Amino acid sequence: MPVPRYKNRIELLQGTLDLLILEQLRWGPSHGYGLSHAIRAHSGDVLQVDAGSLYPALHRLERQGLVKATWALSEKKQRTRVYRLTPRGRRHLAGERSKWEQMSQAIAGVLNRARSSES
Amino acid sequence: MKWPAWRRRQDAQLDEELRSHLALAIQDRIERGESPDQAAAAARREFGNVLLVRETVRDTWGWTPIQHFWQDLHYARRALWKAPAFTIAAVLTLSLGIGANAAMFSVVRAVVLRPLPFAAPEQLVAVNETDLRGTPIPRSSSWPDFFDWRRDTQTLVSIAAHHTASFTVTGRGPSRHVPGAVVSANLFSTLGVEPYLGRGFLDEEERAGADVVVISDEFRRDYLGGAANPVGSALTVNGRPFTIVGVTPPRFNFPVTSPPPELWVTLAQDARVEAPGDSPMTEQRGAHFIQVVGRMRPDLTVTNVQAEFSAFASALAKADAEDHRNRGTMVALQHDVIVGNARRPLLLLLAAVSCVLLIACVNLANLMTARGVTRQPELALRVALGASRSRVVRLLLAESVALAIVSAIGGLLIAWWSLDLLVGIAPRDVRGLRDVSIDTVVLAYTALIAFFCSLVVGLAPALRSTRGDLRQDMGATRTSGGSRAQRRWLNGLIVTETAVGAVLLVAATLVITGLDRLARIDPGFDASTVSTMRVNLPDSRYTFAKQVAFYDRLLPEIARLPGIAGAGIVGPLPLSGSNYSLSFELPGNRGAETATRLSAGFAFVSPGYFQAMRIPIRRGREFTIADNETAPRAAIVNESFARQYFPGEDAIGKRIKPGLSTTEQETPWREIVGVVSDIKQQTLNEAPGPAMFVPHAHGLITTPHIVVRATSGVDAVPEMVRRLVLAADPELAIFDVRTLQDRLNLSMARQRFTTLLLMLFAGLGLLLIAIGLYGVLAYGVAQRTHEFGVRVALGARPGVIVRGVVSGALTLVGAGLLIGVLAAAALTRVMISALDFVAAPEAPTYGAVAIVLMIVAAAAVFVPARRAMRVDPMRTLRTN
Repeated sequence: MPVPRYKNRIELLQGTLDLLILEQLRWGPSHGYGLSHAIRAHSGDVLQVDAGSLYPALHRLERQGLVKATWALSEKKQRTRVYRLTPRGRRHLAGERSKWEQMSQAIAGVLNRARSSES
Repeated sequence: MKWPAWRRRQDAQLDEELRSHLALAIQDRIERGESPDQAAAAARREFGNVLLVRETVRDTWGWTPIQHFWQDLHYARRALWKAPAFTIAAVLTLSLGIGANAAMFSVVRAVVLRPLPFAAPEQLVAVNETDLRGTPIPRSSSWPDFFDWRRDTQTLVSIAAHHTASFTVTGRGPSRHVPGAVVSANLFSTLGVEPYLGRGFLDEEERAGADVVVISDEFRRDYLGGAANPVGSALTVNGRPFTIVGVTPPRFNFPVTSPPPELWVTLAQDARVEAPGDSPMTEQRGAHFIQVVGRMRPDLTVTNVQAEFSAFASALAKADAEDHRNRGTMVALQHDVIVGNARRPLLLLLAAVSCVLLIACVNLANLMTARGVTRQPELALRVALGASRSRVVRLLLAESVALAIVSAIGGLLIAWWSLDLLVGIAPRDVRGLRDVSIDTVVLAYTALIAFFCSLVVGLAPALRSTRGDLRQDMGATRTSGGSRAQRRWLNGLIVTETAVGAVLLVAATLVITGLDRLARIDPGFDASTVSTMRVNLPDSRYTFAKQVAFYDRLLPEIARLPGIAGAGIVGPLPLSGSNYSLSFELPGNRGAETATRLSAGFAFVSPGYFQAMRIPIRRGREFTIADNETAPRAAIVNESFARQYFPGEDAIGKRIKPGLSTTEQETPWREIVGVVSDIKQQTLNEAPGPAMFVPHAHGLITTPHIVVRATSGVDAVPEMVRRLVLAADPELAIFDVRTLQDRLNLSMARQRFTTLLLMLFAGLGLLLIAIGLYGVLAYGVAQRTHEFGVRVALGARPGVIVRGVVSGALTLVGAGLLIGVLAAAALTRVMISALDFVAAPEAPTYGAVAIVLMIVAAAAVFVPARRAMRVDPMRTLRTN
């Protein structure tokens, strides 16, 4: 059994990874490595996306027409596949984001009530 | 088998993308100060299993199932390639099974399943009359009945009538005799057939004197030399001038006959009167000789039509009690009537050939099981490496699918090649045979049975060999016989195929004995060295008296020829397909019997006919030339007649009154002057029935057959007769030339066809059983070599071991035989109802089947048993 490499690692909810990728791409086109790096950095090393989840997700989004991929040279002169958000992906992201916000507010509400009754 | 280019490019791009990810990660780490080696290792560790990532991404492309199947087929191809002996045996076996099945199915499709080539054929019905006494069988109708129906019917939108006829066409080159039909004017419109050229008949052309004719396209091409538009030109038919008004489309065949009709004339032909005072056929309600076809209103079924026509029949019975008291009607789909009795024998043959296919499949399942067992370690390895069970099953199934695909192609080749053969030996009078072809329906059927075969062949063995914990088998090499469950399974397969084979064998034995019985039936005459032929004498030039005179002059001339022992004429000729029956009366003092109208078989014969046919005269005399127009009316009856109507008395000198008058003012009484033995008239297996004969001088009511007995060779006879006929009248043609032996054989053509094919299928089945049995036994012996070696080493005599192998085989075959014979006994009733010449089996049948199967088993067991006997204990023990 593999030893957990990151202590604070959180298993991502189903579908959340798609949301994170799309959100990340809103700030500009990026390749796969850049995306995983950025997600980890912006989550304070809590969210670690392994390649085994990232690339299938990217290819799935590509098939759904939410992202578009082109071959380009990275800032370090490495030929790599760069993903950018399509207009459809942008609309999809907006919808998913509001759903996510509703959901997290609702969960927070439930959890907060539980906490206040505990104290 | 390669992936298409775009798929390979997609794979390459994914690889590059993943590589770039790693490269970027390594660069990052190096920039942070790690050594290149450290960085590479860490990045790789972080990335995880590259192959797994790649597979997971590929899954999102949505091609995986197809890709797996493709891979499996590719793998199956490689695996099969590596085992050529197995592959060839398997493909051959399956190709034979599928090919025979596809060929048989194309015949069934052409003859039984394909709809009639008319507009909306499902609306066409055949209306027949029937005698309500006894089992109702369809009988012909009469013109007046048809006219009534056409006037009154509400359920049929159109109703037409037809009867076959033969015509002599003269005037253009040699005179020619052609088959044709006399029809009501609306026949073509009822069938929904548009004329190819010209038009169909008009209603007013049904009246006497309308001499118009429709010709077939074949007639146009063959006889009129392909005249572009013969409509409007003249044609001399039966010595009278006709006008061609239309040409039917190519291949049009109705009334369905073989060969197909070439000329159609209207019922005006039957409305003519030859002599003043005669009543034409169209006015004789008792003259039953026409067939009726109708088109139903689309919203109705046969039941509605039947109800209406039953009402017609009972109304007629009240109004015209004399002739129609016991007449009913029978309405059936035209398709069923035309396919008729060809359906059940063909379906039976299809069932038989399916049995052969089943045996072939079971054989293959055997082989696949054996292969599965030897591949157990390999499969175990696959499971250990992470393949799911369903994945392994699919892998094994792919092999049977690959086999089935190749065999389906092979089978179609076999079917295509054997179809001509099959049609060649089929009886000629079966409709649709000339249209037999491998069309899309046959292709679809072939694909379906191939798919079914691949399931039967592959699924069970695949499930079996992946059952249980395969990992236990890893690395194990099998030294001794397979598991008990496995042996039970193989034995079960053998029992199954033997049982199916036994059923086939019983069926084959039944038809062989049936055909043999049929061939041994004494037809009542001696068919050897007799030639038969007909001459059509056109009514326009040959009145009744002239026709009689023609034959009275011709017959002695033929009889005088060298090498000829006798000649005569008869109508209808036995086994020519026709059968006349005539009502008759017995003298009034027989009381009750005169009240019901009696009926018996009927034929007119010339002097010398019985002698030429070598039909024994039991009592009295044959007709002589003195039984002419002026002589007292005489009759000859057969033994059945004498027995039935004059029991315990001498029939000679008794008087009967057959319902026949030709030149007489009223139907005459006739004195019986002779008694002849019974003759088979229509089929060899008909029951004997009463029959009457009158001299041709009083009874020449149809074109008779001339029968000529030669002393030795028959080949020259037709030419000799032709010359005499032409010398008498150069415009005459002889036709329907055939030896009597030929007709006798032809009357058994269907039975012989069925028998031949069933024998072929049973033989094929037996061969496959022998191969299958051999395979299983040889495999069993090979598996148990080690065990045998040990036993021999421990002192067992080889004889004991051989006895074990042989008795094991015989037990299996015996069990299969028992099951098969029980099943066959249950199935014989189906066979007897499908085939008119088959009788219930007797004990010797089953005995013969058992012996044949045991011989096959013995042949199959011989080699494996010998191998078991020669097991060298030292060698087997050393190798393990």
